Amino acid sequence: MTKPGSTAPPVAYVSLRILIVVNWLYGAAILGLVIFANSYPAWFMKAIDVPPGMDPKPVMIALTAIASLGLLAVPLNHLILTRLLRMVETVRRGDPFVAANAYRLQAIAWALLALQVLSIVIGSIGKAISSRGFPIHLDAGFSASGWLAVILMFVLARVFAEGTLMREDLEGTI
Amino acid sequence: MAIVVRLDDLLHDRRMTLTELAERIDITLANLSILKTGKARAIRFSTLEAICEVLGCQPGDLLEFKP
Repeated sequence: MTKPGSTAPPVAYVSLRILIVVNWLYGAAILGLVIFANSYPAWFMKAIDVPPGMDPKPVMIALTAIASLGLLAVPLNHLILTRLLRMVETVRRGDPFVAANAYRLQAIAWALLALQVLSIVIGSIGKAISSRGFPIHLDAGFSASGWLAVILMFVLARVFAEGTLMREDLEGTI
Repeated sequence: MAIVVRLDDLLHDRRMTLTELAERIDITLANLSILKTGKARAIRFSTLEAICEVLGCQPGDLLEFKP
């Protein structure tokens, strides 16, 4: 329960609202880039410094695939952020220990899992097209801390579900 | 529900109101109503003891198992 006067929930609430918008802007930017890059491939290849002797077609396909997978992350991010927002709202109302929040945590855990898988796929594509002449450095791939967060979230969701049940029992005890 | 709370019958026999019992055992009327209507999930031993003491009954008089 929030202590009176605590500023954390309002700050989290506003930050999450901003992040939700930023996430969609990020998606729109990627979509724009994909459309633009595929409309003007020659200009795009020059802009990203593809060596003259290199076949641009596989690079273009791979980068389009990476961008498309990046687009998939947008709804996943949205799911995480909106669920978190709903959780913060329950904290603001003074009762976060409800069954709905346990389901929300579980949904967040699945979304994080999907994001980790996406990251590995994106990282693999990046590695596949990266070469000495055309190095690609992507902040994607296997992340031990990312997978730890996934496990932690699933455990937390389970603990929350158990805690909620105990809370319901306690509330029904006369 | 298989366990039936017979608080109503006990109160009727003793000509006591739920409000009066609530005041004597120091439990809110709302909570006692939940218990009376069988909507409670559990009952504390301390509550059971207080009710039995005021109504002069045994826990078995208050709770009945109806299969």
